[in-house]
Amino acid sequence: MVQDEGSSSSVTSSPLHNFSNMPLHPAVASSTTPLWMMRELRSDERGLCLIHLLLNCAGAAAAGRLDAANAALEHIASLAAPDGDAMQRVAAAFAEPLARRALRAWPGLCRALLLPRASPTPAEVAVARRHFHDLCPFLRLASAAANQSILEAMESEKIVHVIDLGGADATQWLELLHLLAARPEGPPHLRLTSVHEHKDLLSQTAMALTKEAERLDVPFQFNPVVSRLDALDVESLRVKTGEALAICSSLQLHCLLASDDDVTAAAAAAGGEKERRSPESGLSPSTSRADAFLGALWGLSPKVMVVTEQEASHNAAGLTERFVEALNYYAALFDCLELGAARGSVERARVERWLLGEEIKNIVACDGAQRLERHERLERWARRLEGAGFGRVPLSYYALLQARRVAQGLGCDGFKVREEKGTFFLCWQDRALFSVSAWRGRRFD
Amino acid sequence: MAAASSAHFFSLGEAQMQQPQNGAGAPAPVVAAATPAPKKKRNQPGNPNPDAEVIALSPRTLMATNRFVCEVCNKGFQREQNLQLHRRGHNLPWKLKQKNPKETRRRVYLCPEPTCVHHDPSRALGDLTGIKKHFCRKHGEKKWKCDKCNKRYAVQSDWKAHSKTCGTREYRCDCGTLFSRRDSFITHRAFCDALAQESARMPPIGAGIYGSSSMAIGLSGMAASQLQSFQDQAHSSAATAISAGNAQFDHLMSSSGSPAFRATQPTSASSSPFYLGSADDGQAQPAGHTSLLHGKPAFHGLMQLPEQHQPAGNNGILNLGFFSGASGGGHDGRLLFPDQFNGNAAGNGRAGGGDHGNSSNTDSVSIFSGNMMGSGFSSLYNSPDQAVAPPQMSATALLQKAAQMGATTSSSGRGSVNSLLRGLGSGGALNGKPTGAGGFMAGDSSSRSTSQTAENESQFRDLMNTLAASGSGAGAVFGGGFPGVDDSKLSTRDFLGVGGGVVRSMNGAPGLPLRHGAAGLGMSTLEPEMK
Repeated sequence: MVQDEGSSSSVTSSPLHNFSNMPLHPAVASSTTPLWMMRELRSDERGLCLIHLLLNCAGAAAAGRLDAANAALEHIASLAAPDGDAMQRVAAAFAEPLARRALRAWPGLCRALLLPRASPTPAEVAVARRHFHDLCPFLRLASAAANQSILEAMESEKIVHVIDLGGADATQWLELLHLLAARPEGPPHLRLTSVHEHKDLLSQTAMALTKEAERLDVPFQFNPVVSRLDALDVESLRVKTGEALAICSSLQLHCLLASDDDVTAAAAAAGGEKERRSPESGLSPSTSRADAFLGALWGLSPKVMVVTEQEASHNAAGLTERFVEALNYYAALFDCLELGAARGSVERARVERWLLGEEIKNIVACDGAQRLERHERLERWARRLEGAGFGRVPLSYYALLQARRVAQGLGCDGFKVREEKGTFFLCWQDRALFSVSAWRGRRFD
Repeated sequence: MAAASSAHFFSLGEAQMQQPQNGAGAPAPVVAAATPAPKKKRNQPGNPNPDAEVIALSPRTLMATNRFVCEVCNKGFQREQNLQLHRRGHNLPWKLKQKNPKETRRRVYLCPEPTCVHHDPSRALGDLTGIKKHFCRKHGEKKWKCDKCNKRYAVQSDWKAHSKTCGTREYRCDCGTLFSRRDSFITHRAFCDALAQESARMPPIGAGIYGSSSMAIGLSGMAASQLQSFQDQAHSSAATAISAGNAQFDHLMSSSGSPAFRATQPTSASSSPFYLGSADDGQAQPAGHTSLLHGKPAFHGLMQLPEQHQPAGNNGILNLGFFSGASGGGHDGRLLFPDQFNGNAAGNGRAGGGDHGNSSNTDSVSIFSGNMMGSGFSSLYNSPDQAVAPPQMSATALLQKAAQMGATTSSSGRGSVNSLLRGLGSGGALNGKPTGAGGFMAGDSSSRSTSQTAENESQFRDLMNTLAASGSGAGAVFGGGFPGVDDSKLSTRDFLGVGGGVVRSMNGAPGLPLRHGAAGLGMSTLEPEMK
């Protein structure tokens, strides 16, 4: 009995699909496997086993075949380890979401198990994010590019208003304060409006920034806005007509793409391929909220808006596609983390559990309005932004040099900054993981 | 919900982009009649009406104070409406023009000063009074002076407002900051108090911001021991590479942007030295050593360790130790040696990821040059002394491999699988581990002492077979080649076969990397069985 790995989306003949479709030993289905045997595999063999199992499990979970998913998960559980090598950790991070996903067919179980999950607290998420900032250079590179963009756009302004949609990471703004203080014509008056869900994080940021601004003698004003992004009222940002405005969004916009309609789309997808394509094309109502938000931002007529987003398409309606994409993407990230931290590193474990793990959980196990991590590639974001009235501003060459210098300064060859049409792609081993782009309101040209 | 929120955002109605009047530089129409009164409904702050009419007034018009003059008493008024009301007092006919809010377009105003930012239509200000004050303040002469301090003002109301508060009241927060305005004081204090409490609880931001100092690569402990053991095995030719490398390291060490790669304290001694990729810089990189690059980051991180943790004088030697990496000393050790390096040290015959015949480095080197992809961690972490370790491939490398395996149709057997391996290893040190991979299975067969063992092996191989392209000798993917697999023992029972037989047999082969999986997998259960 060979497991039927046809799965719901026999879509592409992508090599990984073929790999997963290779007949698995019938023994896998049995339960009396001496699992310790599997530990004798070499790491790459084990890795390949894991990939095979993960793919099969995803297919089974998507099709609702619980027993197959269960069998696969059992093996995965014995091979994976949250403190093992890269592939083991990736598998460990994907195992729980797969289990949750498979269980969705049995809502009673889900609810009884309180599967509205034990999410990490905002403080933990903030800590994890900080660790991620330290361990991987991507966010640092992105914020360096963003700051440079803002600096250049605000070259002769006396009063600068910056809106931070990503909220509550002080590092970037500390650096901006430094940059502004070092301006030849002296620092402008900087007003920073930060949007974030949680007040405490905002307060922390406020304190750190105000202290630093005083030390540098930069006139500074911090306005916190406690709000979720999808419920944001642009009036609360208090943008004055005619002032020099910069908006910075770091990995935030994609949650606006969440909507309920891909539940139906996924159901349709189980039947055929065509329907699945349409949510991808960006014409569905799920994007209208994002478009409305972007339109409102455009209405503020910012001088520059810098958008950092994950460069991945994790917004397909079909689980298997998303899964394969996510597997590749997070494998790269986990590899990258591996370099930055020791095996037993607590910081890396936190990043993997509270930050990346949560993202993976969201991508794999959730759907509809709850699936917030709807990463999309830059080309689609570009279309949306242009549709909302923004024009692309190429990031300057100097910003590129700076970013590259930072990347090289890390002493690791895997990190690269690729520039394409004025956009930066932050790559790990030639796989683009994040994109940074700058836009301006095209109002009066 | 989408509808609701869009209504939320577009409270102005649909934004229409109309051609604005470009009054910049042209003598602009004086907006005579309908002066927008402050009572007019303001557009939401920060949301300039996109179809606003852009008005550019001349400086004279802007500064004109009393444009409307009563004919009777010559009293001047700024606004038409005020004049009309005044005329009532003279019993003159008066008419209050009602501005029709539906027809009147919102107006935005430009500053007439060409060097001013607000001269640009995209930065127009929304209010006539505002633009007047702006122009006066910024581009006007400062005629009003405060008598207490020496601040000067161009607008009289500003001056009055200032002199009321100058030196009168001051607010001081507990943290010592001084405020002259009450509202800013209150805002500050709200955060300040909260922050004073929070900062006691939450980890200080500074630690995170400026790079965690506890970022340990975890190599240091191992590094220390390793380096010591390798000191005596330094090759002289290594020295040159080292010194070149050291220069690199200094550069790297001094770079400030890499907190992540700065190992500060040793963690468990279970990490392996990284691929000494930077040695590549000093030498010509052989083609096909793309895998080396992957190892570089690890290497750099590693090399920083000795700088930090070893006495300075040892650096050169220690680095040397890495490079020389005698296989004999490889206890936890699979050292990663750059191919070039080996080529350097032992002769230039070994190029590319091919097998490294370098006798002194066979085992260790052979494993790594090809297989160090990405992370560069090897099974060294936990495994003790096998001379040959399996490469620990990064997750992305494994995925690529899986994709490749999926893409290739049934290969022609062992040879092709080997070539697959080779290809993946980019020059494939996999090749170079005939002792390893090959030995894996060869050892199996050789140590096959019991039928039980054989059966287990075959089952295992069957698994491997099925994992790879079905039907091919794909077990070789992992094993580097199966000796004749005994398919007849195919069992449907277990994934990998039962019993410790396989383990034993595996263990028997020279340099089999069985212990690598220790991390988190509880190898201890195997201990009694393993030799």
